[in-house]
Amino acid sequence: MNFKAQLRIVISEFQKSIKIWLAYPILLVFWVIAPLMWLLPFIFQGKALVGGMHSEAFKNLTGSPNYLPFVLIGAMVSTYIFSGLWGVGNSLREETYWGTLEYIIASPASPILVLLGKTLAEFLYASVNVGLQALLATLFLGLNLTITKILPVLVIVLLLVIGFYGFAIAFAGLTLLIKEAHGWVHTIEWVFYLFSPIRYPVEVSPITKTLSALIPLTYALVAIRTIILLNKNLGDLHKIIFILLIMDIVLLLGGYIIFRLSERRTKVAGTLGQY
Amino acid sequence: MGYAIEVNNVIKKFKRGSGLKKREIVAVNNATFEINEGEIFGLLGPNGAGKTTLVRCIATLLIPDSGTIKIMGKDVLKYPLFCRRQIGLLTSGERTLYWKLSAKDNLKFFAALYGLDKKETEKRIDYLMELLGLKEVQNERVEKYSSGMKQKVSLARALIHDPKVLLLDEPTLGLDPQFARFLRDFIKNVLNRQERKTILLTTHYMDEADELCSRIAFINQGRIVDCKTPEEYKRDLPHSEVLEIKTTLITNAKELEENLSKIPTIEKVNITTQNTITHFKIILPRAEQVLSDVISEVQKYAKILAIDVNEPTLEDVFIYITGRRLTEDTKEELELE
Amino acid sequence: MNQSLRNLLKEWFAKAKHYLRAIWLENLKEWKIELTYKPDFIRGLIDPLVYALPYLLYGIALVGGRTSENLNRLVGTNDLITFVTLGYIFVGFLNMALWAMGFALRKEQHWGTLEAVFAAPVPRWVFALGMALHSTLHQGLMIFLQIIVINLIFKLTIHPQGILPSLVVIGLMLIALYGFGLMIASLTLILKQGWLVSEALSGIMMIITPIAYPLSVLPVFMQKAALFLPTTYGVMTVRHFLIGEQMGFSLWTSFLRLVILGIFWVGVGMLIFEIIDRRTRRSGTIAHY
Repeated sequence: MNFKAQLRIVISEFQKSIKIWLAYPILLVFWVIAPLMWLLPFIFQGKALVGGMHSEAFKNLTGSPNYLPFVLIGAMVSTYIFSGLWGVGNSLREETYWGTLEYIIASPASPILVLLGKTLAEFLYASVNVGLQALLATLFLGLNLTITKILPVLVIVLLLVIGFYGFAIAFAGLTLLIKEAHGWVHTIEWVFYLFSPIRYPVEVSPITKTLSALIPLTYALVAIRTIILLNKNLGDLHKIIFILLIMDIVLLLGGYIIFRLSERRTKVAGTLGQY
Repeated sequence: MGYAIEVNNVIKKFKRGSGLKKREIVAVNNATFEINEGEIFGLLGPNGAGKTTLVRCIATLLIPDSGTIKIMGKDVLKYPLFCRRQIGLLTSGERTLYWKLSAKDNLKFFAALYGLDKKETEKRIDYLMELLGLKEVQNERVEKYSSGMKQKVSLARALIHDPKVLLLDEPTLGLDPQFARFLRDFIKNVLNRQERKTILLTTHYMDEADELCSRIAFINQGRIVDCKTPEEYKRDLPHSEVLEIKTTLITNAKELEENLSKIPTIEKVNITTQNTITHFKIILPRAEQVLSDVISEVQKYAKILAIDVNEPTLEDVFIYITGRRLTEDTKEELELE
Repeated sequence: MNQSLRNLLKEWFAKAKHYLRAIWLENLKEWKIELTYKPDFIRGLIDPLVYALPYLLYGIALVGGRTSENLNRLVGTNDLITFVTLGYIFVGFLNMALWAMGFALRKEQHWGTLEAVFAAPVPRWVFALGMALHSTLHQGLMIFLQIIVINLIFKLTIHPQGILPSLVVIGLMLIALYGFGLMIASLTLILKQGWLVSEALSGIMMIITPIAYPLSVLPVFMQKAALFLPTTYGVMTVRHFLIGEQMGFSLWTSFLRLVILGIFWVGVGMLIFEIIDRRTRRSGTIAHY
């Protein structure tokens, strides 16, 4: 298949995913509002414990005393991770449920191209979500986003999601072999909630600090918060950017290999299409 | 003319269950057959006989444990992309499409997977929607369609890239009789006669196989037991008749079956029970000769409800060869479906 | 007269035995089904812990330790770990009503067993009580584990004499939650995206129930809304007994309101259940999924 035909596969999958999402407009509303709703208790908890919107103890740990933007950024960036986990990681499970997976595998198209289409659609979807979240947060929660910070933040987000989607593709492959995928999605969610600074500064305990170093999301969140809250630029973050790049390469390659292996394994074990 | 599909000594086993219950099931056991270009070839057997597994191996969805499969002369494992391009696949079941998309959007997506460009895609969709009478509704979401219409869209998907070979796995299963009729005519007249497609059809409806197929392979418990034209099969039972008896429920049918088999000239006895009625099929040269013996034997066990003598059908040949009916299925094999 | 009274009693006992057995077996059935897939079961048990810990760690990060002067000023106790942990128990009870009970009927519908259940010769409330019993026991187990683990990590300090009255309060609160759960269970039968309703309600209820903070930090309209939720009284009264939280209203007010809310929510739950039951039986949509 020539490059043009391959590109068409990616674009068609992209269009298909978007069209199916548009059939469930309520879900878009849900994913915009829910992450913001989930973080409101953290704001009220902050108020109750420190009496205002600034905390000296928080400043000692994170460099900024403002806990509100801290949790806001955590909620917004993690939207990419959690919607990607469902949207890409669980997507082949979804195709199985629809009964369409066998037809995709039986076609001459590479399933990796199909997943690439899904990934691009997912990125757009999450970006729309986060964009709307940022808008709501600016209007109602007093988040201060200057235009000049958007570009460097986007660079970090891209570095985060490239590796993460590699992971999600590997996961998508594994869901062909493991039936109870949604349980694993939850387990992965836990790991992220507990050991990365989505909802609290991991520096608070040496255990969480050490474990969080294994998760790319940790670096991305630290970098994004540094840009937005401490007014640093990308140049100051070259070390984090380097670590993220290495993680991207490892995750993308690993994701590809694991997917290929699981795809083959599925055809031997005969579990394709079973729901 | 060459072979469209060659299946050579294919074996496929599955591991099922876990722990102590773990065991191996042989789904396809050393299957070998060839399908000529342009023919409709039937794979006839009861549920769980291994038909679907075989089709999935041919469609590159499963990797056989051993043996080779070739499509248009090329090995499916070595040239999977070439082979997939030659094949159009249609399976039974309600859910094989994106219900939230229109028929047209479904087809557009799959066209891209098969490498069709924009112009070709439009042309094929137009042609197929016209051919299948879906033109009016092609922009409506599939969830609004009847099950017959959904199956039409699935068929259109199988045809979108104009494949040389069609794999139709129980295509009429669960469809209402009227639509099943349409589909059979369509397969025979349009797909085979007009479009010259090679078709592999699996079914457990013997009428369907008899009507459509130029050659039929009987498959039972994973084995291909025979492969001939329908006429040849019927000639297997020369000058035979089939004596059919219905009685009230018989519990020790095994014993009766043995007793009946002892009656001279009786070649095969098959007994099945459904809804408290026991059905006998007895294959023999002339029913008249032994009718009274058979009746008196059966009357020892139950009350006779009906007696009939018929010409042998394909199903009777299947019983003659395998001792099983097409509508039977065993528990273990059902787990595979 | 005596004879007929005895017969009546006999009949009544037979009926009670029948219903209690049905409730118990409904509970057992749910356990058995859940235990068929153990990884999910175990994951379910750990779930609340995973979501509770970030709250605690976040609290510590905010004040640089486990005591908060501001919290002391607001409610008269400064131990944020015990305060938040006790509060988080009530997330479990909310989940019980919204998810475990809320989806019990929907699950039966999905399995195709709902019609058979409803065709059985027991009143529907017997089935509802079976659901409630199972969800409570299951949630109780989860809460117990959660407290044990958090206690191991952080050492909680409570007044032990407050445990018994706390259980009474929780019991009263559960009655209202059962009514609420029954309402959700009925609604999910007819709503296609029922999980969204539960998700939205749980999001809102988690905010307005004062779990990780005192009621007084909420905006006034949320404080008012919170007064309609049994969990608000549950969490505040239990913390009052165990760590001396100052509630801003008397114990009697709290008990009285819990009783009123119990009657109110059970009434609403049964009414909505009845309406939806009739509706689905008329339109014949009960088996639809």
